[in-house]
Parts: sequence; structure tokens; C-alpha cells
Amino acid sequence: MIHNSLVLPTSLVAIAAFIWAFQALISLLSGRKLNQIFAATLFGIPCLCLIVAALTGWNHDYVFAAPAALSFGHILWQQKLDSLACAFIGLLGFVGLAVSFYSPGYLSHLKDRIHLGQYWASIGLFMMSMMMVVLSANAVTFLVFWEIMSCSSLALVASEHKEHEVQRASLIYLGATRIATAFLTVGFLIMYTHFHSWEFSAWHLAGAHNVVLPSILILLGCCIKAGIWPFHVWLPYAHPAAPSPVSALMSGVMIKIAIYAIIRVLVGNGSDSIVVAYVAFGLGLISSFWGVLFALVQHDLKKLLAFSSVENVGLILLGIGVALLARPTGHSVIGTLALAAAIFHALNHGLFKALLFLGVGALDASVHTRDLRNLGGLAAKMPWTSACFLLGSAAICALPPLNGFASKWMLYQSLFRTTWVSSLSALDRGVALASLGVLGLVGGLALATFTKAFGIAFLGKARSRAVATQAHEVGTGMKLAQVILAVSCLVVGLAARPLTSQLSMVSAGLLGVAVSHEVAFPIPIAVFSLSLIGIVLIVYMLFLSPNRVRRHITWECGFGEALARAQATSISYSQPLARIFNPALRSELSVNIVGSDKRHFPEVITFEPELGKPLENLVYRPATEFIQYLAKWFNKLQTGSVHLYLLYVCITLVALLFIGIRL
Amino acid sequence: MTPILQWLAMLVYLIVVPPLVIGIIRKTKARLQNRVGPPLFQFLFDLIKLCQKSETVSDTICWIFRSTSAINFAIMLVLAVLLPWTGFKPQIHGADLFFVVYAFALAKFFTILAALDSGSSFGAFGSSREVFLSALVEPPVILSLAALGIGVQSSDLYQAFSFESLSMAHQSALWGLVGISIVMSSLVELSRMPIDDPTTHLELTMVHEAMTIENSGRNLALTEYAHVLRMTILFGLTFQCFLHAVPWAYTAGPLLIGVIGIIGVLLVAFGVGIFEGLAVKLQWRKNPDFIAYSLTMSLLACFIAVGGGIVK
Repeated sequence: MIHNSLVLPTSLVAIAAFIWAFQALISLLSGRKLNQIFAATLFGIPCLCLIVAALTGWNHDYVFAAPAALSFGHILWQQKLDSLACAFIGLLGFVGLAVSFYSPGYLSHLKDRIHLGQYWASIGLFMMSMMMVVLSANAVTFLVFWEIMSCSSLALVASEHKEHEVQRASLIYLGATRIATAFLTVGFLIMYTHFHSWEFSAWHLAGAHNVVLPSILILLGCCIKAGIWPFHVWLPYAHPAAPSPVSALMSGVMIKIAIYAIIRVLVGNGSDSIVVAYVAFGLGLISSFWGVLFALVQHDLKKLLAFSSVENVGLILLGIGVALLARPTGHSVIGTLALAAAIFHALNHGLFKALLFLGVGALDASVHTRDLRNLGGLAAKMPWTSACFLLGSAAICALPPLNGFASKWMLYQSLFRTTWVSSLSALDRGVALASLGVLGLVGGLALATFTKAFGIAFLGKARSRAVATQAHEVGTGMKLAQVILAVSCLVVGLAARPLTSQLSMVSAGLLGVAVSHEVAFPIPIAVFSLSLIGIVLIVYMLFLSPNRVRRHITWECGFGEALARAQATSISYSQPLARIFNPALRSELSVNIVGSDKRHFPEVITFEPELGKPLENLVYRPATEFIQYLAKWFNKLQTGSVHLYLLYVCITLVALLFIGIRL
Repeated sequence: MTPILQWLAMLVYLIVVPPLVIGIIRKTKARLQNRVGPPLFQFLFDLIKLCQKSETVSDTICWIFRSTSAINFAIMLVLAVLLPWTGFKPQIHGADLFFVVYAFALAKFFTILAALDSGSSFGAFGSSREVFLSALVEPPVILSLAALGIGVQSSDLYQAFSFESLSMAHQSALWGLVGISIVMSSLVELSRMPIDDPTTHLELTMVHEAMTIENSGRNLALTEYAHVLRMTILFGLTFQCFLHAVPWAYTAGPLLIGVIGIIGVLLVAFGVGIFEGLAVKLQWRKNPDFIAYSLTMSLLACFIAVGGGIVK
């Protein structure tokens, strides 16, 4: 059913857009004197509006357009709100709500390093543009708000612009967004020349000829923004450089907006190109492995989380690839399951990645370092943050009964079902089986990564005196933000069955097939968790607690209390796994020994591990150097002489006249 | 059998069989080494002794250390009830293949964090080796169980191991390969020989013992029992795979299959004991080769399942 009137969800969306635009304006005008609580409230109310809009607009289709005065040239500013958009709008609103609780407390730690007015203006514009991108019904609206989204997120990444690292990260991110927009624009232009309409719903890709090239261009443009291998190089720079609430929004929501674009433009329009499907499948599989492998060896917590985002968005793209492969061959159950898994994982990853980033931000605000080499023992001083971070880590490792398990189960199940179908070729079934194995390895590596992240940061003893003395629990706002995200992870995990049936209807609608009862989540998660908690409580209260417990130092072979620096470090923890995968990681160790006799009387030994970055050094650096070389060559044309410029104008005019007459 | 009788039988199994399994392994090793060896139920006596002792905990720990043993015990108990490791049908359905693998991963997650909790370097080394082994052994485990699932067109392990799925009745090669793969993966996951010697307590060789080095008293009793229960479940699954490879088993009565199942678990324990007595511990850098053998077996099983044309 398509409604055109101004009903509750659409009016809430319009109100949200206005309030965010208003908030951006007020923040810009107030500058540094902006009241944090006022800005956060103005920021949070539209988020609530979006959550309500998502819940009320579910299972309805709304198409609405702005008045003709606000159109882009002669192209209407059109919006479409259907169930898929509702899902992503709901995620945006919920994460935005958490960020609105979190920001005032966090920014008070950063007060002197960033310009508060610029931050709140940019973040208001960022949220508004993300919402508009999700709701866009035609390509021009999409591109306009995509650009606003890129530019506002760039301003946010560059918040602490006095740091050299942040400057470098902003430039890399800028380059990535330009290339992504270029790919998308060319793709949309070719689609327009083919279908003669800018509206997404008019692009019927099923059975069309010559749409492979624009589909690939659009896919690649969205992949660059989503952080898929080999275009992920900007993620590990941009996410650590941005303030933590911004990293939570970027990693939790913005990357998923790119995935949403792929689903809306390619999957929803019936793309049946095998090339597009295999590219999505292959890139997704490689990203998931590459991302988690590099996450394992990081010692900066935010870089670890950034690479883990690469892994998860690879898993989502893998699901989309399977759905694109299944639909043309008629395997509707597999396709529906895979697409529902992709959408579910996108939502779940938004929740737990935002939680993890907010947790790292709380840690950063408390002890002013994110380096695992200095952290440790924070669970005692920061109990709320550590409990929420533990829940986030368990969710991202896909452990039952949390939400990560539900979406990963569906992804596994869709690949598994592909192996049953005897009508598919042995190669297809073999590839599906191999991906099952690779996903198992990825899951194991994710477990290693997040036990390392949580265990070394929060457990044991602090590895530096500064951390030991400075650690304190963060304020109420920051705690509340993390708690609501953690509770949502738990609730979504326990409510996996009804959510799966809702999402299967959405994905069946997108793929244009009938809903099947086989697309379900049959595992009795609630019963499992209740029985688990029941047994744990009974055992704990009757058996473990009454026992008298004596406290003493940790066992250290009778030598007495060990130094905190004698504990395992992040590198030693990941070393066995990193050694095996060294051909991909290319980690190098530089050892420098200073002393009167290096062998027998060393005085200072410096030991620096570093990761050779194969993709950056072999591909991106030569490419950028080539472009710089070209630019320097073209510089010769600008001599500064007016006469030469007049000559250029004359030659161009003559050439154009010649072409115009001849053709 | 009435449900109450079945639950009582399961209770008796859980009290009697795990101590017997570890007792048989130790007794077999001892006899091979020309020693008398501990009594068969020594493990049970050790648990009772540990329950009477007081507990010493490190002052660096938080709530994770104190609750991990209860969490592991609960997870292993739930899995023992769900999985078809005895010859009898589990009373509760719900042994989904991926759910089981990730429930084991949940237990590993808490064990690793409890080991890191005390800030001891032994615990950290044990944890790092444990994640190394478990990350590498996940593909063989998932692929071998997936091979079974392809045969019955379901990811429900209950259906795969059921004696009523006649499509799997004559797939001896498939069951045999899956059984070998599971037993090799179990030895890796439980960190027994040839991956790690469970009897030594040296920094260079410990995996499981390193992670439980800070536990004492009732905490240690629960942890050790959960570990031995996991061993029993995995050996039980192994024997079930080898039993399914014999086509006669599909026509035998359920009571006979149940009795054979329990005896089979003890037989597998005996076999593992002989293997441990004769085997040499692998150099740590060679462990991935052993896991690669397990992966090869599971890949061969997958080839049979995909290419074998099993008709449901």
C-alpha cells in the first residue's frame, strides 16, 4: 500500500530533519559558548522521533516528496519509507540516542581540543544527511545527501585537527569519499541513460542488457564507503582519529548506509548479473578474513575495532552476494535467508560496534590512552564500562544468546543450505563449503581478537602507573549510553525468532519471492539462556558462595608478587596466530641494541614490532605517487604568462568549432 | 522408558561415566608404563576432596573468575543433555550444529577471560595457546559436522545422529572419516597428547592446566568436572560416528544401542589412553600440521557428502 499523505512516520521524519538542521544552525552561531545539555537534547529528540517512525512505519510503504520549490533543478526531492528503510532509520535513531546521552560527558574531556560549535553542527548535519540518504527515492537526492554525509563526517573526523595524525587521516578519508562519489555518480549516470529516469524504482535490472558495468560501478562505490577489501585502507585511519561518539556513528551506521545503498539499488531492483554477485561474494569473503586478521595484531583499541568493522561488513556483503547468486537460479529460500541474515547482521553490528566504540571512548576519557601496551586492570575501577564492553565483545564473537549469534547463524545456515541443493554444480557447493570453513576460522580469530581486547585492557593489573592511578568510572550519561546499547544487544538476541520472521518478510519482498516458513530461527534461545542462568545461579549460591575464600597474590612460582609489566602483552598474546599468518601480515621486528659491547654488555634494547602494510605500499602508494607525478607534469602548462593562456583559449575555441561543425 | 527413568539414567551417567573416562585413560597409561596407576574412580575422590578444601583467590580478580566455573559447568551440562553422545535419544531437541559449536566457544570465552583475570603470565600463555588451537580447529569441526548435515539436509545434529535417518545408513566411509576428524579435533581442543602433555606442569607445555592454575577448592572441582564432561561428550560423539559406520547398528534395538554407546565411550577412552602412552608430544610449531590432518579428513568427508549423491 502506498500512502501519499502526511501520516505519522513521514511527519516524524520531517520534524527530525528540521530539528537537526535547526540544531546545526544554532551550534554554528553559538560557537564555543554552546550549552552541551541543550545541544544534546536538540540532538536526541529527532533520534526518538526516528525510533517511533521506524516502529510505526513498519510494513507500510510511504512515498512523499518535498514541495517543488525545494527540488534539485527539475528533479524532485523524493523520499520513500518502506520496511527496509525503517530498519535502518531505527538503527540510526537508536545509536544516535545513545550518542546524545554520551556526548556531553565525553566532550567535557575534550573541551580544549575541539571546537564544540563545529562538532555539534557537523554531527547534526551528519545525522540528517544519513537519514535522507536512507530515505532517498531517486539518484540525485541520494547523491546530494551522500555528499553532505561525506563532508560532515570529514569535518567530524578532523575535529582534533591540530594533531598531525588526524590531519593525515582526514586527507586519506577525503580521498576515499571523492573516489566513492565518483564511482557512484558515473554508475548513476549510466543507469539514467539506460532507463531514462532517476528514480530507483524505475531501474528494472532483471533481464536488462548492458547494466553490468553501472552495477559494478555502483557496487564498487558503495564498497569503498563501506570499507570492503581492498578499499578499506581509510577505515583504520579515520576511525581512531575521530572522537569516539563519531567513530560509533561512522562505524555503526554510516558503513551500513553504504550496504543499504547496495541492497536498495541492486538487490531490490532485481539484479541478476552473475558478475556482480560473484564480485560481492568474493570481496566479502576476503574482507572478513583480512579484517579480523589485521584486527588481531593491533595494539590501538580503536584500530582494532576499525579492522573488526571491515570483517563484519565483509560478512554482510557475503550474505548479499549469496542472495544475488540464489535469486536468478530460483533458490528463493536460500536467497531470502541470506538477505535477511545480511540485514540482521547490519543492524546487530551497528548496535554492538557502537557499544564497543563508546566503551573505548569511556576508557580514553578516563585514562587518556587507548594503547593496549599501557592498559590493564580497569575492571575494578570501571565496573559499568567493563561489563558493557564484555557484553559487546561476547556479541561480536557471535556467542549465544546475544544478537551476533542470531545473525551469524542465519548466514551460516544460508551457506549450508547451498551445499544441500544437488542441482547446483559441484563447484558452487564446494565454494559454499569452503566459505563455511573460512567463516569458522574468522569466528575463531574474532574470539582471539576480542578476548585480547577485553582481557588485556580490563583484566589483570595496569601496565603503566598512569593508568593505575588515573582510572575512574565515567559519568552517568556515558554509562547510560553504554547500558542501553548493551541491553539492546541482549534483547535483540533473545527476541531473535520474531525479528527473523519480520526480516524474512522484508527480504522476501525485496527479492520478489514468496515468504517461506523455512526462513526462521528455530533455536530456543530464551529457554537456553534461562536454563543457563538458572543453573549458574543455583550452583553459585549453593555451592561456590558459602565457601570461605582467602585472598592472596597471584601465583608466581614462589618468587613473590610479579611486576605488572611481567604480564602478557597484546603482541605476545596474538603471536602464535600472527606467526602462522605472517605472509599476509608481514610483521617485522626491528631490534636495536645500544651498549659498550652489544653482545655481552647491552645497555638499552629497543624492540619495535611493525606491520608492513602490503596493500598500502604495493598499490596505493605507487598510485598516489603516479598521480602526483602527473600533476607536476601538468603544472608545466601553468606558466603565469597571460599570452599563453589566451593562446589556450583560442585553440580550445577553434577545436570546439571544428567538432561542432563536423559532427 | 518413561521420562523420569531417562532423566535418572542421565544423572547416573553424568556422575559415573566422566570419572570412569579419565580414570581409564590414566590407568591405561600407567599400565603401559609398568605402574599400578590410580584407582579407576580417583577423579571422583579428588572432586570430593577438593570440595572440602578452602579456596584461595588472587586479589587481582573480578567477578569473572569467580563465576566462570559455574558458567562452564552449566554450559557442559546443557550440552550433555542436548547432544546425542550416548546411544540413547536426547530428551530435549535443539542440538543445532552451529549452536553447539558456538556454545563450546562461549565456554572457551569465559575460561580464557578467567585465566587472564588474575594477571598471571601462566594464565596468559595458556589463553594465547588456547585461542591459537581453537581458532585453527574450528574449520575441521564445522566442516565434519556439516558433512553429516548435508547427508540429512538439516543442521540438526539430533537428526544426523538419529538411527531413523536411513539415508545415512550405508555411508560407512563418511561416518568413519567424520569420526576420525572429530577425535583428532577433540584431542586438539582438550589439549591432550600429542598437542600438549596434560601431566606436566611446565610453562612450555601447558594449555588447559595453565588456564586453571589459579583455581582451587570448589572452583577447581567444578572446572575439572566441566573439562572431563566435555571430554566425555566429545568421545561419545566419536564413538557414535564409528557406530553409525556399521550398518547393523541401524537395525538393532534402542536399548542395545544405548548400552553399546556407553561401553563405546569407555572403549574410546581406552584407545586414547593407549595413544597417549605411546605418542610423543609434538613441537609446538608442528601443531598446525596435526590440525591439518584433521582438516583433510573433514574435507574428504565433505567431498563424499557433496559428491556421493546421498538420497534422503
